[in-house]
Amino acid sequence: MQHDEMIWSVISQNFCSFKTTIGKAKSDKTYFCRNPYSVTGLCNRTSCPLANSKYATIREQNGRIHLFVKTVERAHSPKNVWEKILLSRNYGKALAQLDEHLEFFPKVLMHRNKQRLTKIHQYLIRMRKIELKVRSGRKAKLVGVHRKIDQREERRERKALVAAKLEQTIEKELVERLAKGTYGDIYNFPETPYRKALEQAEETEQESETEMEEEDESDDGMVEYVEDLDSEEEDELEDEEEDVENMEYLGNGNWGENESGESDSDNEESPSSGKTDKKPSASKTKKPAAKRRGPRVEIEYEEEREDHVEPVAAEASW
Amino acid sequence: MSARPLVTVFGLSGEKVGETTLPAVMTAPLRPDIVQFVHTNMNKNHRQAYAVNIRAGKQVVAESWGTGRAVARIPRVGGGGTSRSGQGAYGNMCRGGRMFAPTKTWRKWNKKINISQKRYAVASALAASAVPALVMARGHVIDEVPEIPLVMESSIEASKKTSVAKDILNAVGALADMEKAADSKQVRAGKGKMRNRRYVLRRGPLVIYKANDGVEQAFRNLPGVELCCVDRLNLLQLAPGGHMGRFCIWSQAAFDALETIYGEGGKRIPTAAMTNADIARIINSDEIQSILKAPKAGQKQHAPKRNPLRSLEALEALDPYAAAKRRAQASAEATRASKKAEILAAKRQQAKDKKQYKAAGKAFYEKVSKQGDICANGFTLE
Repeated sequence: MQHDEMIWSVISQNFCSFKTTIGKAKSDKTYFCRNPYSVTGLCNRTSCPLANSKYATIREQNGRIHLFVKTVERAHSPKNVWEKILLSRNYGKALAQLDEHLEFFPKVLMHRNKQRLTKIHQYLIRMRKIELKVRSGRKAKLVGVHRKIDQREERRERKALVAAKLEQTIEKELVERLAKGTYGDIYNFPETPYRKALEQAEETEQESETEMEEEDESDDGMVEYVEDLDSEEEDELEDEEEDVENMEYLGNGNWGENESGESDSDNEESPSSGKTDKKPSASKTKKPAAKRRGPRVEIEYEEEREDHVEPVAAEASW
Repeated sequence: MSARPLVTVFGLSGEKVGETTLPAVMTAPLRPDIVQFVHTNMNKNHRQAYAVNIRAGKQVVAESWGTGRAVARIPRVGGGGTSRSGQGAYGNMCRGGRMFAPTKTWRKWNKKINISQKRYAVASALAASAVPALVMARGHVIDEVPEIPLVMESSIEASKKTSVAKDILNAVGALADMEKAADSKQVRAGKGKMRNRRYVLRRGPLVIYKANDGVEQAFRNLPGVELCCVDRLNLLQLAPGGHMGRFCIWSQAAFDALETIYGEGGKRIPTAAMTNADIARIINSDEIQSILKAPKAGQKQHAPKRNPLRSLEALEALDPYAAAKRRAQASAEATRASKKAEILAAKRQQAKDKKQYKAAGKAFYEKVSKQGDICANGFTLE
């Protein structure tokens, strides 16, 4: 008894790891006891399993109900403190058993134990009822929601979706298939992707062209003698007007350059004549391996004048 | 308390091997207040000094511009050519100024505690470690421990291997507490994690020995397990956090040494102020009850006050009409609830009618305001 008082004064006033409140408000004055052997769940002088050397509880495990009894004689040995008595499944018989075992215990404790037994029986009955209803299909099984877990999984799904880059892989796959030719000849392409793909193809070709150019120019130390290199460059810097003579009617109102050998010969002739040439022709220096046609230009017809000094003078006068 | 109880001594595989008597220290008074006081002060003794740089904020030459310049009178940095010039200096309110009351290293970091107080605290903590309820309340998992205080045979001091140590703990039911500590390892919350105090874990059992023949090495790597020699019992280990009741595992040599350390020839065991502190029992004892005066007769018994806001009967006593009023309220609500559907329907119908009426009026107006031969069809309107 002396010990119990000491224990209770230490536990209640100082620290007990089983003591909790539900809310965080300071006005929450009821303390609960999280000790699994507590009869009531409250933190009281009479219902503290640690501060009472003569104590009894009822616990239920898998539907079997046991009476746990604690006495002073075994208080020093935590392993053997609780004497476990199996109670009858019959409610009435269990009550009689309680009477018998807790005869010399404080009346309060016996009363609490009986209350607990009743509660346990009631919830077991309810559990059985629900289970039967669930099995017969008349009631849905209620499952708890784990907000933390559900939110975590949702978050991960979203991240995984972003990380999978579905659109890109699908696009890649489809383009591959198209390239392979599994779709045969399809003529209806949506405009923007088609143009984009064509530009990409053009870029790769131009890249290979520039690579080839670079390869040609990488011949260091090789002296190349070229006729009238300067004039060629100057002509390039001027507004590139296409040589009218080189124009060819390509049909559909489009005029384009003649890509045959004639234009090449023209190119060779024009640098020799130089700037004195009356025709403001820009020698069209073609890129060595241009496969692409020049831009299709629609030309307005103008009268050709013999006297070209005026526009030149006009340019120079600013 | 002269006949002190016997304590079983357990062998390394958990079987009973012998008995000893409980040392007198274990019956010392339980004084959580003294333990808390001594603990808080003892805890300050291993602090390291911290302080701001002594020159911080003062390494400028700054003078106040005085009055008349339409600026605050705080000393300002002179010179020019840099954004620092003209800025306030020296004050605790200035950016780059010295702080208010710069912390100094010569602060008193350690606390002096009276020796007798320290000893009292240790004795109290030892006594608490012998009470299973207090050890459980402190949070240790001792459900499988065969006895508190837990004394093992002295050969535990000679254990060399950690695996052997773990088996010993297992045999004696102390592994659960050690595992609780191991599971609780977490990254510390707060800045301590970047100041070399990264992990925190719970405290497990404290192994107390007399002579180290390998115990230290065997047990020290187990998470949560701490070791202590009897001669140098540490309050910070016996009552971590200022809470008494650490789970202690004694070697028999250490346990028996307590008799000599505390007693006539050694440290004083504190005595309680009251030998029997159970006041309730004293009051209800025959000795006291027999000399009490009889209770006064004819005293009015007052029933406990009942709050009228909570109990209807108490309210009735004050306001006789209360029950009737409540009933009227309840019935009114009920009728309102039942009539709700009807009322709603009526209102909706009303709104609908109004709409139709308005629409009809509008249509009429449209028809009437059409331009055309007024009397094309006579004076009638279609």
